[in-house]
Order: sequence, then structure tokens, then C-alpha cells
Amino acid sequence: MAAQRQASSASQTPHLSPAELSYLYTSLSLPGTPIRPDGRSPTQFRPLAAETDILPGTNGSARVGFADGTQAIVGVKAEVERTALGIQALSTAEQQDYAAAGNDDRGGGNNGGSKQGSVSGSGQGSWVQMAIEIPGFRDDDALPVFLAEMMREPLVESVSGGGEGGMVGGLKGRLVINRRWHWRLYIDVLLLSQPLSYPLPLLSLTTHLALLATKLPKLKSKGEEDPFFDDDWNAAEYLYPRVKSTKHSSIPGSISVHKVRPPVTLLVVSVAENIIFDPSREEIAVADAVLAISVTYDTDFDRLKLLSIRTIDPPSRLTQPGVPNSENVATLGSTTAAEESVIVNPSTGEEEVPGVWRPRRGGVKRATIAKMIKMVLEKGGVGEEVLDGLEGVEVG
Amino acid sequence: MKSLRRDLSSDPHTANVTSKVFVRSTKSGKVQKIVRELYLRQDIPCSSRLCTICPSVAPTDANGNIAPFVLSEQPAGTTAFPRGHYIVPDTNALLNGMDLFEHTGAFYDVIILQTVLEELKNQSLPLYNRLLALIKTDEKRFYLFFNEFRLETHVRRGQEESINDRNDRAVRTVAKWYMEHLRMVTKRSKKEKALPAIVMITDDKENLRKAKEENVTALSLENYVSGLEDADRLLDMINESKEAREAKEARGELFYPEYYSMSKMMTGLRAGNLHQGVFNVSPYNYLEGSVKVAAFDKPLIIMGRHNSNRAISGDVVVIEVLPKDQWNSPSTKIVDEEVVTKNDNPDAEDNEAVVTEREQRALQEEVRHAHGKNLEGRPQPTAKVVGIVRRNWRQYVGTVDSTSTSSHTTGRRQQNVFVLPMDKKVPKIRVRTRQAADLLGQRILVTIDAWNRDSRYPTGHFIRSLGELETKDAETEALLLEWDVQYKPFPKSVLDCLPSEGHDWRVPESKEDKGWTGRRDLRDLLICSIDPPGCQDIDDALHARQLPNGNFEVGVHIADVSHFVKPNNAMDLEASVRGTTVYLVDKRIDMLPHLLGTDLCSLKPYVERYAFSVLWEMTPNAEVVSADFTKSVIRSREAFSYEQAQLRIDDPSKTDELTQSMRTLLHLSKILRQKRMDAGALNLASPEVRIEADNDEVGDPLADVKTKAMLATNSLVEEFMLHANITVAAKIYSTFPQTAMLRRHATPPPQNFEELINQLTRKREMRLDVSSSGALAESLDRCTDNENPFFNTLVRILATRCMTSAEYFSAGAHAESEFRHYGLASPIYTHFTSPIRRYADLLVHRQLAAAINYEGEDGRATIEGSITRNRLEDICRNINYRHRNAQYAGRASIEYYVGQALKARSEKLAADGVDTGIEEDGYVMRVFENGVVVFVPRFGIEGVVRLEDFVLPGDTANRSVEERRELVTRRESDFDPEDYTLKVTEKWQGSSDRAMTVELFQRVRVNVSSVKEESGRGVGKRRVRILILNGK
Repeated sequence: MAAQRQASSASQTPHLSPAELSYLYTSLSLPGTPIRPDGRSPTQFRPLAAETDILPGTNGSARVGFADGTQAIVGVKAEVERTALGIQALSTAEQQDYAAAGNDDRGGGNNGGSKQGSVSGSGQGSWVQMAIEIPGFRDDDALPVFLAEMMREPLVESVSGGGEGGMVGGLKGRLVINRRWHWRLYIDVLLLSQPLSYPLPLLSLTTHLALLATKLPKLKSKGEEDPFFDDDWNAAEYLYPRVKSTKHSSIPGSISVHKVRPPVTLLVVSVAENIIFDPSREEIAVADAVLAISVTYDTDFDRLKLLSIRTIDPPSRLTQPGVPNSENVATLGSTTAAEESVIVNPSTGEEEVPGVWRPRRGGVKRATIAKMIKMVLEKGGVGEEVLDGLEGVEVG
Repeated sequence: MKSLRRDLSSDPHTANVTSKVFVRSTKSGKVQKIVRELYLRQDIPCSSRLCTICPSVAPTDANGNIAPFVLSEQPAGTTAFPRGHYIVPDTNALLNGMDLFEHTGAFYDVIILQTVLEELKNQSLPLYNRLLALIKTDEKRFYLFFNEFRLETHVRRGQEESINDRNDRAVRTVAKWYMEHLRMVTKRSKKEKALPAIVMITDDKENLRKAKEENVTALSLENYVSGLEDADRLLDMINESKEAREAKEARGELFYPEYYSMSKMMTGLRAGNLHQGVFNVSPYNYLEGSVKVAAFDKPLIIMGRHNSNRAISGDVVVIEVLPKDQWNSPSTKIVDEEVVTKNDNPDAEDNEAVVTEREQRALQEEVRHAHGKNLEGRPQPTAKVVGIVRRNWRQYVGTVDSTSTSSHTTGRRQQNVFVLPMDKKVPKIRVRTRQAADLLGQRILVTIDAWNRDSRYPTGHFIRSLGELETKDAETEALLLEWDVQYKPFPKSVLDCLPSEGHDWRVPESKEDKGWTGRRDLRDLLICSIDPPGCQDIDDALHARQLPNGNFEVGVHIADVSHFVKPNNAMDLEASVRGTTVYLVDKRIDMLPHLLGTDLCSLKPYVERYAFSVLWEMTPNAEVVSADFTKSVIRSREAFSYEQAQLRIDDPSKTDELTQSMRTLLHLSKILRQKRMDAGALNLASPEVRIEADNDEVGDPLADVKTKAMLATNSLVEEFMLHANITVAAKIYSTFPQTAMLRRHATPPPQNFEELINQLTRKREMRLDVSSSGALAESLDRCTDNENPFFNTLVRILATRCMTSAEYFSAGAHAESEFRHYGLASPIYTHFTSPIRRYADLLVHRQLAAAINYEGEDGRATIEGSITRNRLEDICRNINYRHRNAQYAGRASIEYYVGQALKARSEKLAADGVDTGIEEDGYVMRVFENGVVVFVPRFGIEGVVRLEDFVLPGDTANRSVEERRELVTRRESDFDPEDYTLKVTEKWQGSSDRAMTVELFQRVRVNVSSVKEESGRGVGKRRVRILILNGK
């Protein structure tokens, strides 16, 4: 167990020998055409099966299963809650302009608190609560806590523009009912299987789907009245509003599309010069850098927008290095110097002996990260492909 | 990327599983998505006696019996459906025509769908309850079909389908299914030809159209009723609101402000800006109402029609306090709707304003007055109604206003008439009827359907006629209906619960009999009962005997009703609904069937009876040494009336043991009474008279009207009953700390007495100390007037009205300190001594039996005593309500009798000439700006005396109503609200000697007579007229 927790930085490290690691690394780092253990192309995702509305008691739910057997379900529940209003907030409500200016000065650290009383467009990040359950982990273990925060943060902080079908103030704004009332969202993420690979992409995709399927009861009261809802569930409205499709008719079968969608977080690794998406556990084990990139649609520009990048401690750092024949007592002198020629690793600049595993230490190049981001964000890129694929899952 | 969604529609196992999803908002503001799974079944029977399949599949109870099938084999036919028909109404049909469905002349064999029942429940709880009652009775053959649970009739809601459309489709689906089902089961049998039609009744046009498309027989309610016999009368019973709404849609002239939205009201209520309470209309001024809300000590006043905004007395309303400049003092004027809105035309609505000119004038006068004299009558906060939480509309008894019918009524044309309800607090009701001419001069029952913003008066419809005005039957039924007394004969299911031996039931002779288990043999005690003369339902009997140690054994023996009435059988449920026996002058509406009340339970003399006894050992100073409770068998030696008992005690020649024991009882009761008074018990008074109807045609009918005499023997019985009740209350409370059935009388808040204190100080310089019941009792004793012996009683009557009424409650509902009975100055109290006529006592009997570990014949008595607190609180609510109504009904009955006696007298005298009425003493109870309220103790009535009914010096009392009415234009009044005096003067004479001054508490000579309105509005309406003959 202790070992497992230690591995929490990027899932369990498979028990691979240095030779295996080296072989894997070499295959993945082939310039231009990396060879992945399962034969996928670098940007190809593992096949997955998804469905929504599997839990009738929730406001929205989804299940996603990867072909490797990992499965997650997410349930979203919403609850009406009274907004705590301070005296200060009440007074600031009248002089929004002044208050808004004040907020900017104070900076991001105080964001949640200072936004309280301002216009009905803004809500608080704390209204979204996320809990992740992973088998074998306690809920206060680092991995679930870290994962939850990693997914919650882009969710509440992504603010999109208004416009038709838009969400003023993003998810936080959508949760505001009126000045005194708001919705509180509970997102419960449950990983059903053992975390075979780093579960972040799976959980993120499932959460994304669940949020797309989430509905809130239709509000009947107006303005500042205490909220009062339509008791017909069929009249309930989507948390992420949908508009009739105009140009994105590429998705067959769906009449309405989301203009605003929840963000997704993708896991991207770099191996030497290569960028690999949706890495499997073995691939992560040899990655030079592991990035969690959160993206969402920018409704204003009709393209993807980067929300956050987090680097994840690559597990390769902790692996045992291989020993070159030249230094191995057992094989000492049995190899030729030519075989032992030192090659400089292009991504780390370290000296390496081919076929001998060295844990990846040190940073990753700026250019590599830029390339990763570009591949996610560009039009027709991986990010768009993923979002469109998720949109294609029949919701409701 | 592949998306996969499991398709469940192909799975054969999911066809009978479905779910119902809806949003529930809880009181605390939570909003939840609720998912109910439904497992559809195929064994829910159609319940038609024609069916041959359903009886074999229908679910059985534990004994293997299926529920009896309801729908008749040969249902009634109509001209349109000669082979008979079953009716399938939709929700609207029930909303609009519930009275029709209850009618005994038509509407048999009705299939009520679960869908419809649930929808009805959401729309109108009272109608829902009435429908449930209908389903329960066997006669009407209503069958509740659980269509949502049956596979074939369950309807899944379509993607874009509204709930209403879905429910309509469900009704059609059921109608279709019934048709096919019955056709199938009767195939190739001889019944095939006589297959009844399935008739769907709906008022929804779209639904009718779709039904036609789907080959379902469907009719609108009106079309259906038109095809029945007696259609004219039945058509009148259709709810008017819908029709009226449709007809007026175009015009849109609105008289009343709109109600707030539900959410706005809830927001306001939570925030404390709005208040909720019951709307009460002043009995003296129909334009003034008051609402008692939790937030304030005193009720808020609601002035005028606009502010009361379509609220009717009894409705639960939400109110908003008006700005301070609109505050007002409560009115000091008597305003009677009948007089003010005399000439309204029910048809002509175009020019009607919310407040007619006359009303406006009446209101203005009040405002002026309030502004003029702000010293004493400082303005009170007023409020307006902004929403209705719950309508408490019921059926109202009334008469058709003759002036509102058009004179040229030829044929059966439908016309609008006004119905004047008997209850003056209820506004007149506009009713459309085809039988206006027939209904004149009849007591009729109507109901209110709606009160829309564009209508000045509520609209309603006619239900039935009770009979001619002033006939005994009609008037008795009228007041029973008005006070919601259940007067229908006991149904068979109740009578089935009676002992099979009937009147031949005897206490078993052998003591080995199970009836004797746990019973003590008290047959050798000298027990007797003392009751009012002619009493048949004898609840209680007493005995006393000296013990060898010098102390006394005193026993109170109560009829053992709980032996005969077992919990939760039909008889018990009926009794719990009735709550109490209602005593009218010439009629008694029993709580329990006759056989029990007047025979088997009644502690009749000379026969053995089961009893529940409370036995005390008392010292000669009436100190209780010990108390004991036991079920027993007694034999009463004699049933005395109060007078007989008094005579026997007073007769020194009687020295037999029975008389001696009565003397002992009397002696002890006096000590007990004194102790109670010392503890601060109140001696209250209510204006009661008793009618002794001995039906002698010759004598003066008024001779029957007697004020209640208080004999020492009355108080003898009363003291011991009180004592027994208190002892029992303590016992059951110790056993059932949460669910003991107790009775409390809350300490009235001092502000209730403010007005009376003020009046007494001002007029008599007397002080009333209301700090405690003891202080109040003492100060009431000091309120005497040597010249006016009745004055003390008058003050007591007024003080009683300032108090709250006593109520039953479950022990867990209040803190122990709140158990106090204020009037009796007892820390705990209950009712134990009259189980024949009060349901509360019956429950207390069961609890006491359980408390003393009495097991009963079947060993179940201990269990019978326990009851859940919720159930008990429901019962308490009901019996408190029934108890109050029974008192009102009794009073109304006496009032009616007095009126009739006066009328009989005047008719007798009419032969000799003119009716001069009868002269009596009266006392001024309240003074208004344009009249006074006078109480006449001789008849126990109080009446309003208007300006014209003051007989000024030089005037003659002997004038007809019309002549008097003309006087009013010449009369002037001078009202001093601080001194509570009213001076009436005649204008045109200009001389001051034709004047009269009346003041509060004054004794006046009055002339009481019964008069009938001869012309104008309310023709034929009889009332008791009081004329004041002398003032100061």
C-alpha cells in the first residue's frame, strides 16, 4: 500500500525492467512515427464506450469505460442554497462599478470572497463540490484530492461570453438563481476499476459528459423571490444550455448542440520529440514530461481555449536506471567501445547509452510544450476531436 | 471514439418496469428530483360484474378472498345508451360537477382513474375527499381503477407531450381498454349483446376531438346531463366558474387586484413582510374583517371589499399591512349587506363597480369618523389581502333574493339570481339557475365555485332545496348543514358493529363469563343517577357510603362505552368523525347508535350495566385519601331528575340509605366546590335558556322557554364529575406522557380584556383584575350593581367572550405548564364522564383501561389504549371543531325556536287584533354609531336595535316594519365612543324632548316580537325584532 501511495503522483508505475523501459522509450521516441505498444497513432485515443443518464436519481450522470477495462461513473446532484450575504456585500451591490474596480486591485487570491456581492452574473467557485473515489485510496489521500482540484478548477474558472445560448459568468454564473439563492452542485466521481493508468482523462471525460446531461428544475418564480420550481421534470433545463445547431451539423442525429461546454482535461506526454495523447500506463512510465491540459470552447471565437496546464511528476523519474555493459562488473570488457558510444538525448540533453535505461530527469523543452499545446488547441486538432466526440454521445 | 448507449427498449424485462420522475419542493426550500419506479402488473381487476376473467386473477387478501366487484352487470341506461353505460370522467368533469356525481338520481357505475384522483388531489383537496367518500360508499358503485399500475393502461409520456395531454390520453386509453376488455370477456356469451357502453366525460374540446378519432365514446358533462331525466335541475348543479370564465374572457374588466404569485407570497411570508392567518368577518359589519396573525398580539383589520379582495370568512389568507396613513379604528357601525346592497342586479354587471356608491358612502363615513376622534379610538393597523393560501368554501344554506329574479320568468330560461346565505359573514352568491321561480321561498343549498377578478360577487351553483322556508324540517336541516353536523342515519356497516342480541343484551349472569374478567362486582352499592328531566343517555351515576374508619367511599360510575365500541371498526370511525352528540331543541343527533346510547350503555335504573368506576376514599373534609379505578358491574337504584333529587334531599322525612348517601354527596360536593373556588376557579356564565317542549297546543308557547335554573344537585353532579375528570387526567398522563388525551383552557392574553376593562372603568368605575384566574374571579364577584341584579351575569358573559375556548390536545403537544385549565383552575384536566355523547371520553376510557392493566374480554384492551400521537392530534382537531359546531348548532336551534314561539304567539294574538309583541327586560351589550346590541335574558337572545327601532317618547311601539323603516331618514344619532352612549333624536320635530339616550350596561325595557319582511328585499324573511321602549 505504501508503494501505491507513493506512486500517487502518476498512478502505479508498472514493474518494468530497465531494459523494457529502454525498449519502450526507444520505440516511442522514433522520430516522426513512434511505435506505441498497442499500435495506436500518437493522437489516437483508446476506444471508449460512453452513456449518459444512467443514475435516475441524479440531475445528470454518465458512465465511460475504456477498452482496457477502466470505468468511471459520475453523478451530478444540485441543491438550492441560500447565498450568504454580508453587509458589505449588500452595500457593494449598489455600487457595483466601484466594487468591481476594488476587486481587481486585490488580485486573484481573494477572488471568491470579494466577488460575493456583485452582480447576479457571478457566483462562487465553492458552490461546485467535487469528490473523487478511487478504489484503494482514502478520500484524503493525495491522488483523489489532487485530481478533484485539477478538474474542479478549470470547471469553475472557465468564464465564457454571453450571447445567444451562452452562459454569462460561466458555470458559476449559471448557478446563481437570484441575489439570495443559488444552486450548489455536487459532482461525485467514482472510478469503478483499479487505476490502471493515470485516471485523469477518464474521469474528466466522464465528468464532462455528466455535466452535459445535467438538468436543473425549471424556475417559475421571478426576480428576487424565493425560488419556486416547476414540478415537471421534463420541463427541467440543461445546466449547459443548448441551442439549435446552425453550422455544426457535422454531428449526426443531434438537433441541438451546446454552445458552451464544460472543459475537458487531456493527458499528454512527450517522449523525446514525440507527443503522445491518451498515454497508457506503460507509456507514462517512460515519458519525459506529463502534462494535464484543460481546454474548453471559446464561444466568442468559436475555437478552443486553453484553461490550464499542469505538469505531473513523470514516474520515470523514480525508476531504476539500467547499467551499461561498460560499467557492469559481470560483462566488464566484453563489449566494444563502438557499441558503447554515447548519444546525447535530444530532449534532455543528457548523455545516454542506447539500450540502457536512464530515468528521465530534468526539464522539458519550451518548444515541446508549445507543440503539445498547439496540437490540442489547433482547429481540427485533438481537443476539438475529443469534444466533438463527446458531443456525439446521445444525451438525455 | 465510439459512443455506446444501451438500448433498453428491446429488453422484454423492461416493458413492465417504468418510472415516474418529478420535482419535489419541500417546505424547507429543498428541491429534489424524485424517481419512483413503477412495476406494472396485469392482475388489477376491471371490477365489472360482467367480467369472467378478472375474478380469477385479481389479487386476494390473506383469506384468499378478492375484493367484491363494484360495477353493476346491468348499469343504468339513458336514451343515448339504452344498453347501459359505465362512466369514465376526467379531472375537469369532476371539478365541474362533483355535486352531480354525488347526486342520488344519476351517475352510477363510475370508473375513477388513479390518474384522475391524483390530479384532483392536487387541484382541490375538499373535492378529493368528497370523491374518496363516494368511492367508499357502496350505493353509488364508484370504482377506483389503478390504471397507472396496470400494464395495458399505463401510458408513457411522449417526448414533447404536456402532462395534461398525457393524462387525457391515459383516460382515453382506459376507456378503450375497458371496451375491448369487456367485449373480449363476454364474447360468445349471451351477455355479448347487452354490453354496456363506456362513456368518457370530459369538458376539454381537444380531448373530445381525439376521442372521436380514436373511436372512444366521449361527451361533455353538459351534453351528458342533458340526456338524463330531470336535466334542468341537474344542469344547475354544474360548476359555473368555467362557463363564466369563458364568457367573460373578452371583456376583461377587473374589479379586484390580482393575487400575488405563490412564490412571491412564500418569499414575503418567510421574510416576515407578509402574514398568514384565517380571515374572519365581523358579525356586525360585513365589510370589515380581521385576521389574527402570529406576528402580532391583536388581529389586523381589513376594511372594505377592495382590501378583503375576494376572501370569504374562513379562508386562510396572506395579508400585507397597509401604510400608516390608511390605518383606521375598528368600525363602530352596524353594516348589513342586505340593507346596503339592496338593489344590485345579478345580470347587469357592466356598470358595476367593486364598491357600490352606497357602500362607498358607508365606508367614507367610517373613515371620517376615525379621523375625527383619534384620542381614544386610535387608528388600528389595517391590512389588505394579497393572496389566498387555502379556500375554506363549503356548501352554504341560503335563500334566493326575490328582488334579484326577473319578474317575467316564462319557461325554463336560465337566469342569474342572488342567493343570500344564512351566514351573514358570507357575501351573496350569484347563481345561474333554470328554476328561479320554484326556488323562491325555499331554503336552498348552494356552493361557491369561483370568485374571479372581474366579478363583484362570487359565483356558485345550486345543489338542492331543503324545503319551504320556516318549515321545521327545512330549518333544522339548514342549521345542521350550516354547522357541518353529520346527521345522516348510521350506515349499515356501523349498525353491524352492534351486539347481535340487540335490546336483549344482558350482563352475563355467571361470573365465570369472560365479560366479568377484570370487573368488580359493585351491584350491591346504592348507586343512583341525577340528570336533567327526560334524559335517556345516562352517562354517569354516583354513590357514597361511610367506611368503618369514619371516612367516606365515594364512587363515580361511568357508562362503559369502550366495552361496546372497539377501536377502528366502522362504528368507532363514525363516532370519531361525529365527535359529539348534538342537542337541538327537538332533536338529538347521536354520536353512537340509539341502541348503545339509550339502552345498553346508558346506566338505566333497576338493571345491571357495565360501568367504569372511579372510587375515592375521602375524609369528612373531602380530602382524598386514595383513588381507585376499576371496570365494574353496577345496578343503579334510581334515576333522578335534578328537581326530584333536590326534593328528596330536602325532605326531612326521607331517611333511607339512598337519600342519606345523596346528602353525603351533597355535603362533600359543597366542600369540593369551595376548594375549587379558593383555588381560583371562575364562575362563568353563558346566556343559556332551556326549551321544555311539551307540545301543549293550548298554552303560551313562550312558557316553554326557561332560563336554566341552577339547583344544588346540579352542582353536586358537576363537582364529582370535575373531580373524576381531574383524577383520571393525572392517571392517564402518568401512563401516556405523550399521547394522553387531555383538555386545556389556555390563559387568555390580557389584551383580550382591554376593551371590557375600559368599559367597566368608564361606566361603572369598576376594576377587573385579569392577572390570574383567581384575581379575575374575585374581581368579577365585586362587579355588582344593587339596582341591577343581572349586571353581574352580564359582565360574566362579556368576560367569557374575551377568553379563548377550551380544547382537547395530546399530552405531547404542549409543555406540562401549558396543560392548565384556566376556567377550572386545575393544572390538568380531561373528559372522562360522558363517553356516550363525546368521543374524547371514549378515548380516555380506553387509555385509562390500559393504564390500570385491564385486559378485557379478549385481552386486547391494553393495546386498544395506545394510539399514535399523529392520529390523536388528528382526532383532537376534529373533535374540537365538532364540539364548537355542536354548541353553535344548539344555540342556533334555540334561537330558531324562540323566534318560532314568538311567531306562534303573535299568530294566536292576531285573532284579537294587532300583535303588540312582548315586553321584557333587556341589557345593552354593545353600542354602535347607528344602533345597539341588546341582550334579553328571558329568551337568551341578543339582537341588534337600529335607529328606527328606538321608540322615542310620544312614539308608538305599535308600528309595522315598513312604517318604522321610514323613520330612519328622520332619525339622527349622536354617538360618544368614549362614553359608550348613543343619543337618538328625531330630526323634523326639532324639539329635544323627542330623544332617547342609551348607554352600555343599561337596563332597558324592550318589546320583542317576530316580524316578517313584507316588501323590499328579503321578502318573507322572518326575524326577531327588538324595540327599545325607554332609555334615559
